[in-house]
Amino acid sequence: MVKTMSATTVIKNKPSSILDLELKSEKSFTEKMVKPILFFSATFSIIIVFFQIFFFFQQASGAFAEVSLWDFITGTSWRPVEQQTYGAVPLIVGTFVTTLGAMIITVPIGILTAIYIAELAPRKLKKILKFIVELLSGIPSVVYGYFGLIVLTNWIRIIFDRPTGQSWLAGSIILSIMALPTVISVSVNALNAVPVEYKEAALGMGANRWEAISKVILPSAFSGITTAIILGTGRAIGETMAVLMVTGNTTIIPSPITNIFSPVRTITAALGIEIPETAIGGTHYTMLFALVIVLYVIIIVINSIAEFLSNKFNKKRDPKYLRKKKKKKPILSLQKSKIISRLNKKIFYSIFLHIFVFGLLLSWSNIWLALIGTIILFLIIKFYKRIPNKVQEKIAFGLIFSAVLMVFTTLIIVIGFVIIKGIPVISWKFLLSYPRDLGRDGGIFPAIVGSLYLVGGAVLFAVPLGIASGLYLAEYTKPNKFNRLIRMSIDNLNGTPSIVFGLFGFIVFCILTGWGKTLLAGQLTLALMILPTIIRTTEQSILSVPLDIREGSYALGANKWYTVKKIVIPSAIPGIITGTILGMGRAIGETAPIMFTAVVFNLRRLPNSPLSPVMALPYHLFLLSTTVPGGQENAYGTALVLFVLVLILYGMATLFQSKIEKHSEKHFILR
Amino acid sequence: MSIVKSKKISEIYTEKSGKYIKSQPIIGDSPFIIQSKELNLWYDETQALINVSLNIYKNKVTALIGPSGCGKSTLIRCFNRMNDVYDNVDITGEIFYSGLNILGKKIQVTKLRKKIGMIFQKPNPFPMTIYDNVAYGPRIQKINRKCNLDPIVEKSLKKAALWDEVKDRLDDSAISLSGGQQQRLCIARALAIEPDVLLMDEPTSSLDPIATAKIENLINELKKKYTVIIVTHNMQQATRISDYTGFMYLGELIEFDSTEQIFQKPKQDLTKRYIGGRFG
Repeated sequence: MVKTMSATTVIKNKPSSILDLELKSEKSFTEKMVKPILFFSATFSIIIVFFQIFFFFQQASGAFAEVSLWDFITGTSWRPVEQQTYGAVPLIVGTFVTTLGAMIITVPIGILTAIYIAELAPRKLKKILKFIVELLSGIPSVVYGYFGLIVLTNWIRIIFDRPTGQSWLAGSIILSIMALPTVISVSVNALNAVPVEYKEAALGMGANRWEAISKVILPSAFSGITTAIILGTGRAIGETMAVLMVTGNTTIIPSPITNIFSPVRTITAALGIEIPETAIGGTHYTMLFALVIVLYVIIIVINSIAEFLSNKFNKKRDPKYLRKKKKKKPILSLQKSKIISRLNKKIFYSIFLHIFVFGLLLSWSNIWLALIGTIILFLIIKFYKRIPNKVQEKIAFGLIFSAVLMVFTTLIIVIGFVIIKGIPVISWKFLLSYPRDLGRDGGIFPAIVGSLYLVGGAVLFAVPLGIASGLYLAEYTKPNKFNRLIRMSIDNLNGTPSIVFGLFGFIVFCILTGWGKTLLAGQLTLALMILPTIIRTTEQSILSVPLDIREGSYALGANKWYTVKKIVIPSAIPGIITGTILGMGRAIGETAPIMFTAVVFNLRRLPNSPLSPVMALPYHLFLLSTTVPGGQENAYGTALVLFVLVLILYGMATLFQSKIEKHSEKHFILR
Repeated sequence: MSIVKSKKISEIYTEKSGKYIKSQPIIGDSPFIIQSKELNLWYDETQALINVSLNIYKNKVTALIGPSGCGKSTLIRCFNRMNDVYDNVDITGEIFYSGLNILGKKIQVTKLRKKIGMIFQKPNPFPMTIYDNVAYGPRIQKINRKCNLDPIVEKSLKKAALWDEVKDRLDDSAISLSGGQQQRLCIARALAIEPDVLLMDEPTSSLDPIATAKIENLINELKKKYTVIIVTHNMQQATRISDYTGFMYLGELIEFDSTEQIFQKPKQDLTKRYIGGRFG
């Protein structure tokens, strides 16, 4: 019988050459192992967060056997040594007021600077400003603290004629400088995310630049900017060393509460100062861990708000969400939404102005001056609408320029101080000899080596783990609940104050293991701290590898692992290196994570095993400037060396970054 | 488009090509290399392919034409299972490659893709040297020694008519080539693993006319040894290079016939109107 054929009958002949298509041995052993290994690395972040919470509760357990929880929360006296009173209110108030003061200074300056960088600056200046912001974020907190201690408190003492400048005000100013980079960079991202069409539409209708910015761009970036402010607040709350060095550290509640010259002690400073002085397991010790939990809760709340806002912000831009929203909303409610957006704007402006007025009140603390300032502001608000648009623009741009100038000046003052004071101290002898006479004499050689060891070790642990987690998140997982849990943990780790890492490392790597202070413990603690940075940059640079290049690889018969190995990772390497260098820059300046875990003062030799303690630059600087009278000279030198190391690292990161940008630009244009 | 209408169209099609196929030789020495049967494909909720049944002739150039979003690219991406890259795709129906259903679960996708190469709309050279780009495929198959790779690279570049232009700079980055050269490099890269079929997804849409002419000449050369399936927006291009043409519209294959037939005596009204430029 002869079969006839139609299009739907299929020929059942199989040439031998394609028979092997059906063999099912596709995945090699390595390919099978890749996913589980990456998965394990990614879950590591969850495990750390879990253990952090677990250990803090464990250490704080028994805290309320002698002191009731009520006394802890409402007690207004924290004098653990003299009176055995453990009232957390002065510390919480201390944290609150310093942070508030910092934000009052930072928010207007930060947002105005961000507007300048995102919207107004010429291309070259933009790059310089971005580098400045990055550098401000890279200067170690102990250097800021040192600057505050030597210069700022002195200025406050002289200008306001006070017996001492160590005060809430000094703490707020230093914190405001430290929170500034966060506020600026997150705001710039939010402003850049506003579609350029909005701006073009506004300008096309004859608006001037300030009108386009104030009426179109700022409202669109509103939630992004709010996120920036909240993240900056988190940064300020978690800071330890700088605050500890400038606030005077008396556990009193300022009286009256607006007395900005009153010394205060923050939660973080209490931890930094008192943990080393307590007996492990005693009442004081457990109470301090109760404080850690308070701090942790504050930080988690702040991070969650930021997370929530930025999710909302991203959703707004998601076309799917927009479509859904449109469907749900009947035309009638248009009126209502208009009112809401107008309200939002009003709220935004009023918050802005209130903060400003309050800031004036605080910084002058002279009732007459403050009154005049308030009246002027009131008049401006009242007659703002009547001011011609051009004048409005000029006023606004004037404010923006002065904000930028302030950021610039701050950087120059801080860096100038470090360099001018430090240079005379630097010599080969200083760099290459051991400290003598408690560091007053001799050099800092073991501290330099110790810092390098610490950072090197941290990178060694964090980079493989970070790359594996980033790879898992970018390539091997789909959005689901578990994936979200991993991301939440990473965000949480990213926002955790460095002193919390320090205490966690202290419990796990020093006490539980029984090692005591060791190089290894410091390296591991720093590794945990820089892990989120490396995970994120890895994920981002992997996601930025274009899909069509991957498809090209698949189309040639490559499997997933081969594609990742040969195409994706090599393309992502510059980005990963940038992230690693930034992590190193952060790790090398941190004091809080290593002061309980790894470093000692005045070591006469280099560490001979991972289990021996080390010296480190930031801690050396901290002790020279706070506890060694007459250590001033060498402290200047140490600060300069530390700063130069950070500068080198950040410079390298910026160079890499611009290389990547150039490369991708070229790639993009030619294709 | 209603379901009733779509059924009707595919019936008409089956009838017609059934007639046509009767005159061809039968089992064992099939003229077809790829056959799709009742192929349906969804992206999430959207159906992108509706009952597509199609026969691709061996060693011929088959063009798929139709307006944007009609499913041409989606269809050829089924032939080497490139749609596997996305996880929101559902497929029903069958695709036979030399008689083997390649949508089956047992199929090794990587080996299938070695037999059915693909050229993309935008040239997508890897960010590495020209030499490494061409050697990428052979290296996947563990051909690593330079003495084995060199002849493959040279042969492939010659077949892709690129050898004379790049022979002195094989170690330059592929990114430094012009757009047309990059696309020919991608063709060379695909040829290096000696596929049977080349799928081309609008390979000239991002190129200037001179580079396009070079690629078209190349396709005319290639059909001596390979089966080429090309998706194109450009109807002149289809008439210049293809032996068979399929016209697709809204996810359906409206008409499939020899190129001459389609462009001179299209049987469907829709095809006539599209070719006449009345919509598209």
